[in-house]
Amino acid sequence: MGTLPDSDTTARASRAPWLTLRRREAIEGWLFVSPTLIGFLIFFLGPLIAVVFYSLSEWNLLSQKTTYVGLANYADALTENPDFWHVIRNSVFFAAGLVPMNMALALALAISLSRPGKGVVFFRTVFFAPVITSAVAWAIVWKFLLQGEAGAVNQMLAQVGIDGPNWLREPNWAMVAVIVTRVIKMVGLNMILYIAALQAIPRDYEQAARLEGASGWQIFRMVTWPLLAPTTLIIMVITTIGSFKVFDHIYLMTGGGPENGTLVLAYYIYEQAFEFFNIGYASALAMIMFVIVLSLTIVQLLLRQKGSA
Amino acid sequence: MTKLRTLSTAGAMIALLSGPLAAQELRFTVWTGNDAHLAMLNGIADSFTATHPGVTVKYETIPAGDYVQKLTFQLAGGNPPDLGWMFENSIPTFIAAGAVRDLAPTLTSTEGYDVADFSEPAMGLWTQGDSIYGVPFSTSPFMIYFNKDMFDAAGLEDPLTLAAKGEWDMEKFREVAKALSEANDAYGFEFKDGQGYDSRIMHAIMPPIRAYGGFAWQDGECGFNKPEAVAALTMLHEMVFADGSIVPPGEQGDYFSGGSAMTINQISRASKMPEAGFNWGIAPLPTGPAGAAPIIGQAGLAVFSESKNPELAAEFIAHMTNAENVAVMAQFFPPARKSVLDSEAFINANALIPAEQMANVSAAIEEGRVLPSHERSPQIDAAMKPRFDAFWRADADVAASLDAVCEAIKGEL
Repeated sequence: MGTLPDSDTTARASRAPWLTLRRREAIEGWLFVSPTLIGFLIFFLGPLIAVVFYSLSEWNLLSQKTTYVGLANYADALTENPDFWHVIRNSVFFAAGLVPMNMALALALAISLSRPGKGVVFFRTVFFAPVITSAVAWAIVWKFLLQGEAGAVNQMLAQVGIDGPNWLREPNWAMVAVIVTRVIKMVGLNMILYIAALQAIPRDYEQAARLEGASGWQIFRMVTWPLLAPTTLIIMVITTIGSFKVFDHIYLMTGGGPENGTLVLAYYIYEQAFEFFNIGYASALAMIMFVIVLSLTIVQLLLRQKGSA
Repeated sequence: MTKLRTLSTAGAMIALLSGPLAAQELRFTVWTGNDAHLAMLNGIADSFTATHPGVTVKYETIPAGDYVQKLTFQLAGGNPPDLGWMFENSIPTFIAAGAVRDLAPTLTSTEGYDVADFSEPAMGLWTQGDSIYGVPFSTSPFMIYFNKDMFDAAGLEDPLTLAAKGEWDMEKFREVAKALSEANDAYGFEFKDGQGYDSRIMHAIMPPIRAYGGFAWQDGECGFNKPEAVAALTMLHEMVFADGSIVPPGEQGDYFSGGSAMTINQISRASKMPEAGFNWGIAPLPTGPAGAAPIIGQAGLAVFSESKNPELAAEFIAHMTNAENVAVMAQFFPPARKSVLDSEAFINANALIPAEQMANVSAAIEEGRVLPSHERSPQIDAAMKPRFDAFWRADADVAASLDAVCEAIKGEL
């Protein structure tokens, strides 16, 4: 004859608390991340999925007519619309001009201002101030400074015998002007990142290199620069992404002109969506921009992995 | 039996409450935030409520720069206003998309509402056949504003005097603009609000083109490269780059702060003149080989197809644009009703502009035509803009540039 289980033991087993420590921690964890997660789902993932669907349709916002067109919007942009490739060229030119200039300037400023010294805090503030300045005010002020003959920039150039161009009315110069003013506005952010990275490098490495007889340039090239590589990668990725998404400067300073010389992808998307109300086509362009930025980021990460291997 | 009586009484009360006494609100979008404008509009709404108990009108201000975008998103997003102001360059697009309702049935059946009292050219943009898709509430002609002090300093007769003598034509305009820029530390002429090379291209080029007998486009044909338009724009190009008498691209020469001796604008800008600090006046646009060609700018009222109260909204437009209320609005917005235009009250309505100058305004409204418009205006503007950028270069080949403009927009016409 077998032994019957103790009734107390059975009751305890069946009444084991559902809210175990593990579960409680899991619930707490989900509760902590839920505000961000909900925001991510509603304001990022949801619209992203919606844009994919919109890009497969021809949707005129005003007439409320929607027709499924498959990949026609993508085909139109990539193979039929000459404006698209002009816009891509402009965007690449903008990024190719802005990213190296921004990074080189940020690094130079960071090296100059990374060590304690007289006036360092003041100059850091001066170079960082444009980052927190209103983009609208910044663009409007520069628009005045960059006027033709009467502009302050050309007046200063005239003092040294240079006849400056009509900056915002000549296509090539307009692009240069927009790039440079954007660099001045944003360089402070990258400067701060580089300063933080430089200050994190132990001074011992530099001192050891000096004892070995290394020059300043050799120390920078063989010690500092390699140790800055992770920060450089991050800066390159965020600056490249930012340069492909630039809109406010273009909108406020040139409106994509003159002669479409500064018509970049983000502004072109805005024009299609909010001036022509072609939501389907604009969504396809937005997806193309997403793929371009994603691809550039992946390529940069792969190059970094290859470099550190 | 008692139960039945109770039920029927309750039913009658519900019917009463949900019937004519039920509150209805009309949402009305405007682009003005001016207190005086809104006070006047609220006064008109109150007089409508007096004859339509339970109906209220709520004005919602959307800044002009974002107006069309935000309105479109409200319409598309299931939050449509009932009625609103419409820009002249937007209405063809809205009509083509079926986004505004035909007001003709309401206007023609409203007692005492005389549709024929509206100037025919002023209604051109808002009607298609027998349908009326909007009623203009502001029909404001473009006039030449001149700085009398600068004319005196240059020893020149002002445009008002020249116009009275029949000598105010395009050649004279060019001549005085050059003389003014030489005699004063200022440009001779500034395009409307200094935006003639950007958002106001049509305001800059259409007055001379029409004075020379040209056109922008008609019946699907581009007119910018026709001989009349080429002659007009050649003159304008020379004034900018050869004479140096018009504020050039990329420069500032604000008329209202003394940067230019003349500009082109509507009478609403007269409100800026008391603080300008110089003597001034307004004159008609200069005539050309094709005679006088006054140009008017318009804004109208329309009921949106998505409106939840379309009949009531149309009735409110009929009320707002009856002769009595048009006369009230004329203090701010020049009317298109001939009976109001011809009245002494209108001629004397503007405290800043003398009656004889207002008579020119009145004449320009009756004879003026709106700027060219098209259901694909946004696309045409975007296609034209880069070609006109190339035109506004000192070394541009004018005729070739205008061919390029036509080539760029022909697909949109």
